[in-house]
Order: sequence, then C-alpha cells, then structure tokens
Amino acid sequence: MIRYPAIIVVLLTTAALVEPMPQSLVQAARLKESLAIIVNRENPIENLSMAELRTVFLGERSHWANGRRITLVMMEPGQPERDTLVRDVCRMSESDLRRRYLQGLLTGEVLVSPKTLASPVGVRKFVFNVPGAIGYLRPEDVDDSVKIIRIDGHLPNDAEYPLKITE
Amino acid sequence: MSERAQLTTHEGATTFAPRVGRSPAFLTRYSSALFLLLLIGLEAGVVRFVVRDVRSADNEVQRMYASSVLGLRRIGNLQYDAQETRRSTLYALTTNDSNLQVLYADQSREADARVTAGIAAYLQQAQLPHEIELGNRLQQDWKAYLAARNEVLGSILEGSIKDAVAYDMTHGVPLFEGVRQDLEETQRLYDEQASQRLANVATLANRTVTRLVTVLGVTVLIAGIFVWVLQKDKMASTMQMARMQMDFAASVSHELRTPLAVLCSAVDNIADGVVSGKEQLAKYGAVIRNQSSQINGLVNQVILFVSTQDGKGRYTLEPLAVSAVVDAAITSTAELIRQAGFALEQNVGPDLPKIMGDLSALSQCLQNLIINALKYGDQARWIAIRASAEGGRDHPEIRISVQDRGKGIDRSELHQIFEPFYRARAAVAGQIHGTGLGLPIAKSLAEAMGGRISVTSEVGVGSTFTLYLPVAVELNEPSEAAGRTVAQS
Repeated sequence: MIRYPAIIVVLLTTAALVEPMPQSLVQAARLKESLAIIVNRENPIENLSMAELRTVFLGERSHWANGRRITLVMMEPGQPERDTLVRDVCRMSESDLRRRYLQGLLTGEVLVSPKTLASPVGVRKFVFNVPGAIGYLRPEDVDDSVKIIRIDGHLPNDAEYPLKITE
Repeated sequence: MSERAQLTTHEGATTFAPRVGRSPAFLTRYSSALFLLLLIGLEAGVVRFVVRDVRSADNEVQRMYASSVLGLRRIGNLQYDAQETRRSTLYALTTNDSNLQVLYADQSREADARVTAGIAAYLQQAQLPHEIELGNRLQQDWKAYLAARNEVLGSILEGSIKDAVAYDMTHGVPLFEGVRQDLEETQRLYDEQASQRLANVATLANRTVTRLVTVLGVTVLIAGIFVWVLQKDKMASTMQMARMQMDFAASVSHELRTPLAVLCSAVDNIADGVVSGKEQLAKYGAVIRNQSSQINGLVNQVILFVSTQDGKGRYTLEPLAVSAVVDAAITSTAELIRQAGFALEQNVGPDLPKIMGDLSALSQCLQNLIINALKYGDQARWIAIRASAEGGRDHPEIRISVQDRGKGIDRSELHQIFEPFYRARAAVAGQIHGTGLGLPIAKSLAEAMGGRISVTSEVGVGSTFTLYLPVAVELNEPSEAAGRTVAQS
C-alpha cells in the first residue's frame, strides 16, 4: 500500500525538478526543422492547402489568381529541403518527379517547368525578382525580400505546420 | 606763399590774419615726404584691393572647380550606373542559367541603387528652380524605367525571353531613353553653370585690372599734379623772392641816395668854401645831421628786420601796461604825426590787464603800424589807436588797433603785404617811399611776443591793423586807472 504513494511522490518531485523548455526555444526548434514556402512579396496569396501546394509544385497550375504566371523555384537534387518537398508535397521520389516533368512538358500535362538554383540565396533572390515565383527555404534563410505563406493555415513555427525537414 | 592764412570778408572789408607758428613751414619743408607717405598709403590701399580681388577670383575658381567638376563627375557616374543597370539586365538575356540570371539581376539592382542615391544627392544640392525641376523629372523617369526593368527581369527569370524582349522594346527602351536625355540635360546644365562661373571669373579679373589701372593712373596723375604745383610754387616763390630782393635793393638804394646826395652836396659846398659864416655852417650841420639820421634809421630798420628773421632776437619779457606800450609808440612817432599833419585819436580801454612783452619791441611794432598808417593815410590825415581786452576768461588777450582812412588795400594784395620786401602796387605807383619791411618787422615782433597781427581793409575807405597780445599770466590785475581818449593834432 505504501509503495505506490511513494512512487507517485518520487515521480511528482522529479517532474517538479525538471524545468519546462521555454516557449521561444520550442518555436526556434520547430523553425529549424520546418520548410518554409516563399513567394514574391507582390503575390497576394497568403495561404495554400497541402493539396494546392502539391498541384503547384507538380506543374499542374500555370497562373496565380492575380493572373501572374507561376514560376517554380527549386534547389538542386540532393539537398534536404528538396528531398522534403519532393517527398512530403509531391509525394514521389526524385526520379519520379524528374520523369513527370519531362513527360508532362511534352504531353502538355505539366504547364510549368521548375527553375533550379544552386543556393538558398539564389532561391530567395529569384523569388524576389519574379512576381509569380514560388520556392522553398529553411526559415533561417528567409528575409524581408520575400514572403512566407501559410500551409493549411499554419506558419513554420506552428506545431501543426506540416512540412518538416528530415536530414 | 609759404604760410597758411585766413582771409575773410565782412560788409565790403576784407580781413587777413596770417597764421603764426611752425606748422606751415614744417609742412612746406616736409611736403614731399608727406606726399610720398600719402602715395605709399594710396598704393597700399590699391594693393589691398587687388589682393582682395585676386583672392576672390581664386575662391570663385575653386568653387567653380568644386561645383562643376564634382557635379560633372557625379553626372558621369550616374550615366555609367544607369547604363550598368540596363546592361546587367540585358546580360541576363544572354543565358539560360538561372543562377547567372539572378547574379545579373543582383548587379542591375546594385547599380540602380547607386543611381537612385545619386539622384537624391543631386536633388539635395539643387538650388535653382530649373535644377530642382530637372532633378524631380529625372527621379520620376528613373522610377518608371525601374518598374519596366523589374518586369523585364521577372520575364527573363521566368524564362519568358520573348516577353522580356518585347516588354523591353515597348517600355524599357523609351523609358531609358528618357532617363538618358534627363542626364544629358543635367550635364548640359552643369556645363552652362561652369561657363557662367568662368565668365564671372573673367569679369572679376577684368574688373581688377581696370581698377588697378584706374587707380594707378589716378595716382600718377595726382603725383604729377602735385610735383607740378610744388615746382611751380617753389619757382614762383624763388622768382618772387628774387624780385623782392631786387626791389629791396632798389628801394634801399633809392632811400639812401636822396640823403646821400644832400650830404654830398653839403659837404662839397663846405669843402669848396661856398659856406661861410657861423650861421650858415650851423645850418649845413643841421642838414647833414638830419640826413645822417635818416640813413642811420634806414640801416637800423634793415638790421632790425634781419634780426627778427633769424629767430634769435633777445627780448626782455616783462609785464607791461598797455598804455605804456601805446604811449611809447606815440611818443616815438609824435613828431612824424605832427609833421604829416595827422589827427590822432587814442582810446585805451579802462582796467586793461597787463601784457607780457618787451617794451622796446612792442613799441617798435606799434610804431611801424603807425608809420604805415601815416604813409598811406591819404587826404583824411586821421589815425586812431585803440586798445581793448578780448577773448574772455579762457583766452584773454589785448587788442591794439591802428586805423586809418586812407587808400585801403586791394583784397588780392592782402595776403602779401606781410611778406618781406613786398610793396603794394598802389604804393609803387604813388611813389611812396618804403622798403617793404615795416609790416614784416611788425609781424615778426608780434609773433616773437607770442601775439599776432591781422588787417581789415577796404579800398577807398581805409585799413585797420590789429595787434593781438597775450595777457601776462602772473600779473593780470588791472593796471589802467581809467580809459583815456586823446585827440592830438
């Protein structure tokens, strides 16, 4: 009878001694593992669902609602960010995606061919220069020259944000 | 004339008062040096003006260089960066590599940032309305071009080369041409301002040269006039002095010749035995004594003049009663007055303070004035001697005047009558004997006593010579029991 209360007391004491992680650190940790979707600041879009994002990155949508032509910006294969996008947004492998773009462009099924840039800075500057561009970056690579949009209503520092980078 | 003098006219009569003291002679002696100093001062002033103008021109040139050259350099940089903005944009057209295209876009934006900053700097320093208007237009045109450039860059990066080229041809090119024209106009404006400033510098330089030449010319002219006047004055003075000395020699000779001729004649008669008898001999003796006395008097006057002119006269200054001086002079000239048949009016004011002077010298001075009045008293045969106190408490002095109702002196001669050996034209024409030394001696004696002489005269009415003498400081108590008015025939 006495053993269980003692265990409860020990557990409660241990729980009291371990300090909870500050909220800012939690958010920083979330940001570090999130993949931000960025667009040009002139683009009025603020939110995309995962389904809409998938449509955009598969090249099935050619223009934004404001009439601007969509330009996909991606980093070179092999980068964790691209791997995350291909896997979580396009839901296919890198080779499947390449094949799809190649075949789709010939058949007209894919309306937009992605631009490939070597560095996060290149991606950011590209999106900054092209009004209809959309790309992805780690949140720490983003600055005020571009705009992060919500995915399914969530920003990268939200716990429910759906795009997490896996190394 | 070497002395400064005061010549005033009151109701037809002209007054002349020769100034006493050393200043006039000093000025004459050092006039050349003073003039040289004046010229040096004038030249220093000119040099100051010129230096100031040269510095002003130098500052203007520096301002012109700083403004125009730096301005033109700024415009040159703006033109280069504007071209660089467009060139980098066009470079992006030459490649399909998105990384390179982004690099070119970056270069274009860096260049356009420099242009934007340059235009802002131009607007900040613009002051003229035209400059500000041009700067605002350039700023607007540049913004319009940048909007077109952004579209072109966007199209290039999207991969829509055809759209990029088309947009650039329809929008980019004309808008950039507008910017280019604005920059050219700005450059032209700088050129015009530089030309204007250059013209200002040229005007300033011309003005400096003109001013320099004018002032130097005026200086040389003034110097020439001064030297001419100085030489002329000296020459005239020298000639006048020579003429007066000749006149003096002639006058003295003339004055000496008459008594000498009488003497010679008397002596010849005695030697030839023409004179016989004690009574006749006594008569000849009286004639010889009289003529010898005249010669002696003349020689004494010449000696007195010389002694008063060398400034080394020795006088015994003592407090003197004014009446004593006047009486001494009248006593000495009483016989002359009587012989000439002149009426003498004498009026010495009551309670006059004593004067400081040498009795003999002052008496001689007054005698000369009386003799002068007798010589030129004309038909009126009347002279008046008056004495009174003048000047109040601050500068008390005694005024002794000798007045006649004779010919009077012409105004043009008033300033000369106190000069040695000068004979008035009327005196020469009227064959009135004299040496021209009486008045100069009187003047010198008055000045030696610390006084002065002035004359008021009107032709046909008469003259009044006034002797001003300082009151004795130590003993200025009244010495005259009462004023006397004496009329003597």
